[in-house]
Amino acid sequence: MISLEDAARKPLPSPDADTAALWRGLRDGQLLLQHCDDCGNVQFYQQGFCRHCSGENLTHRPASGRGKVHSFSVVHRAPGPAFKNDVPYAVLLVELAEGPRMISTYTGGKPDEVTFDMDVVLVCEPVSDDIALPRFKRA
Amino acid sequence: MTKAAALAGHRNSLRGQVAIVGIGLSPVGKVPGRSPLWLAAAAAKQALADAGMQKSEIDGVLASPAMAAQFHRFSVAFSEYFGVRPTFSNTLQVSGATAATMFNIAAAAIHGGLAETVLVVGGDSLLSGLTPELALRSLTESRDQQYEMPFGIPVANTFAMTAHRHMKEFGTTPEQLAQVAVTQRRHAARTPGAQQTEPITVEDVLNSKMVTSPYRKLDCSLISDGGAAFVLTSAERAKALGIEKPIYILGGGECYTHEHIFLMPSLTTTGAVQSSQKAYAMAGYGPKDMHTAGVYDCFTGTVIMMLEDLGFCPKGEGGRFVADGQMTYGGQIPSNTHGGLLSFAHSGIPGSLFHFHEVVAQLRGECGARQVASAELGLVHSLGAGFATNATTILGTENTL
Repeated sequence: MISLEDAARKPLPSPDADTAALWRGLRDGQLLLQHCDDCGNVQFYQQGFCRHCSGENLTHRPASGRGKVHSFSVVHRAPGPAFKNDVPYAVLLVELAEGPRMISTYTGGKPDEVTFDMDVVLVCEPVSDDIALPRFKRA
Repeated sequence: MTKAAALAGHRNSLRGQVAIVGIGLSPVGKVPGRSPLWLAAAAAKQALADAGMQKSEIDGVLASPAMAAQFHRFSVAFSEYFGVRPTFSNTLQVSGATAATMFNIAAAAIHGGLAETVLVVGGDSLLSGLTPELALRSLTESRDQQYEMPFGIPVANTFAMTAHRHMKEFGTTPEQLAQVAVTQRRHAARTPGAQQTEPITVEDVLNSKMVTSPYRKLDCSLISDGGAAFVLTSAERAKALGIEKPIYILGGGECYTHEHIFLMPSLTTTGAVQSSQKAYAMAGYGPKDMHTAGVYDCFTGTVIMMLEDLGFCPKGEGGRFVADGQMTYGGQIPSNTHGGLLSFAHSGIPGSLFHFHEVVAQLRGECGARQVASAELGLVHSLGAGFATNATTILGTENTL
């Protein structure tokens, strides 16, 4: 059970050994995807093994930043006090041009503009000194 | 030899080996001034009385965790509180799917000799034990801290995105979603103790406040207090005890396809396909054989997708199936006859134990005005965490063995 004080703060990622590179990349304006040198699998998020072949020869390459909205949901009731001032906002399930999907939120427009299969492009938005969140705007 | 009989002979199968011999419910809904442990213990006391057993006869305890309790080991804390010293115990956690896994694992433990009589128990007080804000935030805490939570994604949102995609792919409508809530509210009206019994219409659902599109307030499960408990023992012991109507575990199956919603293989076809197929195969029965079902209903669209994945109707037909009255009395599979999480009660993980309570009561023929005629075979499907976790249990009367 968390305290009311903690509930009022927005959760921020704590990069770990597997994911530090991802968050460093985002801070520098790049979304890094892992490419498996053994089987060619492309994956999001960063981890020590390829999820397909268990290979460990993984290379980080910047994503094109282009994707499509596979699904979305506009949040009208905030999940706790920290997000109360943000509603309504559109949570996106983005399918990146490289294949992997990721969760994000819509930026640079009103949530009711979002449609299925809409083309979107990455925007890295700083939320603290160390963390920039990958959001998407209309392409 | 029938398929069922052939499977019954399988050396490792749980089919028919273990029976539910006692069931109990605490008060549910708004139960102020009662802790999760009290709710669990009140249900356990009832389940033992129902079985005609003493607590000293319990040698196993399986529990689900409680959000409104600080215990890391709820099953152990429960045992102390209830005054038992089990020699088999665990607190299981696969979110909403936990309930069915508790039955499957309890059956395996009894069949495998780890315990003779297991108490399956859960209780939580999401309504009275947490503020609404903390309850919502606690539910959200279950999402991934790095890739999901920073975006303000309520757990409802993961389910909403699956339903939204289902609407896009199959033409499922908001009215069809609403029909699930309307049907279950009608069911709850005949269930003593249900939290919400006031009749609602499709218009009421469509006019209720948007929570996370496409889900409105009345598409969402309740927030409640409550506990449920069950006594399980071997089929032989159930006989020796002279239990009048033992309800047997005929099959169980689970499936875990992802952790993060963005790694869900398909937003519209879930691990319930595999978990139910495994359960059906073990039971030697199929979806058309079921007389009643408890279908996890955290949201209305969840039920529509599950009716498809559990094999009650073809993929994409769930909306029409519900609108056509197939999930209620006189239809193909009367489901959530107690009102479900949408109208009976939803006290977190124990919420799906209420589905078990209802299906067992139906199979025992104890449901009075809401009894499904001649119900002998029932299915309960529990799921959680944006369809990350799925578990199915198939139950039957002595006639179905």
